[in-house]
Amino acid sequence: MQDRERDLVRRLFEATPRAGRGGPGWVSGAARHPPSGSELRWHWLVTAGRIEAARYEVRGCPDLVAGAALAAELLEGQAAGLPRLEPRQLLSRLAAPTEKLGKFLLLQDAAEAAAIQFRSQRP
Amino acid sequence: MSDEPIYLDHAASALLDPQVAAAMCACLTDTVGYGNSTNFAHAYGRRAAAKIEAARAEVARLIGATAPSILFTSGATESDNLAVLGAGRANAARGLRHVITARTEHKAVLAACQQLEREGLTVTYLSPGADGQVLPGAVEAAWQADTGLVALMLVNNETGVRQDIAAIGALTRARGALLHVDAVQAVGHIPVDVDELGADLLALSAHKLHGPTGVGALYVRRTPRPALVPLQFGGGHEQGLRSGTLSVHQIVGLGEACRLAGTRLPGEPARQSALTERLWQQLRPLGGVARNGEGAPRAPHILSVTFAGVDGEALRFGLTGLAVSGGSSCASGSGEPSYVLRALGRSDVEAAATVRFSVGCTTTEADIDSAARQVAAEVGRLRALAPAGA
Repeated sequence: MQDRERDLVRRLFEATPRAGRGGPGWVSGAARHPPSGSELRWHWLVTAGRIEAARYEVRGCPDLVAGAALAAELLEGQAAGLPRLEPRQLLSRLAAPTEKLGKFLLLQDAAEAAAIQFRSQRP
Repeated sequence: MSDEPIYLDHAASALLDPQVAAAMCACLTDTVGYGNSTNFAHAYGRRAAAKIEAARAEVARLIGATAPSILFTSGATESDNLAVLGAGRANAARGLRHVITARTEHKAVLAACQQLEREGLTVTYLSPGADGQVLPGAVEAAWQADTGLVALMLVNNETGVRQDIAAIGALTRARGALLHVDAVQAVGHIPVDVDELGADLLALSAHKLHGPTGVGALYVRRTPRPALVPLQFGGGHEQGLRSGTLSVHQIVGLGEACRLAGTRLPGEPARQSALTERLWQQLRPLGGVARNGEGAPRAPHILSVTFAGVDGEALRFGLTGLAVSGGSSCASGSGEPSYVLRALGRSDVEAAATVRFSVGCTTTEADIDSAARQVAAEVGRLRALAPAGA
């Protein structure tokens, strides 16, 4: 079971679905973890208050890269002003070691930064 | 065509030479059999002793020593422990309670030094320069009236940087202190002569030179003989310094590995140096890469490269076609950035983004070219994935 779940990390790390930088008019938000040099930036295309497309740029360990890919999929369809990401659940789905939680918080922090930008742009 | 990753981790453990394996198997399957090498009363024991003494002679020959100066151990960690703890404790009994070593030593030496500190000795941990070298002047500057032991490695296991041990040996000899040399990454890779180095004690390991794991040796100078306090007690084997029945097949494997290394020494270092240089020349154009130990003399088989803009764990995870280490194999397992690279001034992030490539006798130019292509592709992919401007 453990190996199969780690296979998901391998698959997402290698394919990096939804990786990218978005385009003009997209909302973005970033977060960093200076001790490890890890960094994540969300780019969201928001339509009618919902995240229509989520893209990401990431530098970090394989678990974080896979976590970004998984989280991007989960974010699509959510309310851009109040996105829900549970780092512990992502960690669990990927069977990542618990010491990676600090890095996985980047997914949530960057999403919050993007949500703040989205809310600040609303009339 | 093998699906196995290209093995570029010979500094962690060099692949077992088939001739070594054959010599060991012959020992294990010989229908005549071997007895306890300490029992000369019958032919079985005498055959074992003859095999062991032949191996001892091969080890000695490779490092310019005499056979009686070689003690067999379970490997480099035991050899380093016996040298540092054994000499440190013997020195302490004579009032020589200060030890000099370097922050970039292997943990087999550093942990032994820390144990001596717990026993009341003092230890100076020298910092290397940015190129990884510990200069003889730094050893001299750290000298104290009660300095009795200097423990420094000949070739660093992470960076491949070679220390000027001969100059340091001249200093220790002139001042009447002992010099222990961890030569694990040097023996079999570059010519090593204990007299030229001025070594009183020198550690080596079989599996770093295409021999088996689980066996090594400690050179102990015969004249003048360093005083050592043994770490294990029993039947008084190995001149009373390492009790325990000797493992004939393991020691035969070490002896054969040393014999073969001796035959390769005239040409193999230059070939391995060309291979690591070939790899470096193909990695340089990537930009944002730094060779650790640049500017210092280096062993031919190790290339340590720090890659800017990528996560080291991700890089190694992505290099599925290569077997490499991050920093050292020990550092790879700990998850901590390499203390050796940090001692050279690398940040934690840089140290973590470092890959050690180490070649061996089986490595080919085709392996190197394939490795370079794989690294270039993965570094490019990871950098493209990273936040712009990061």
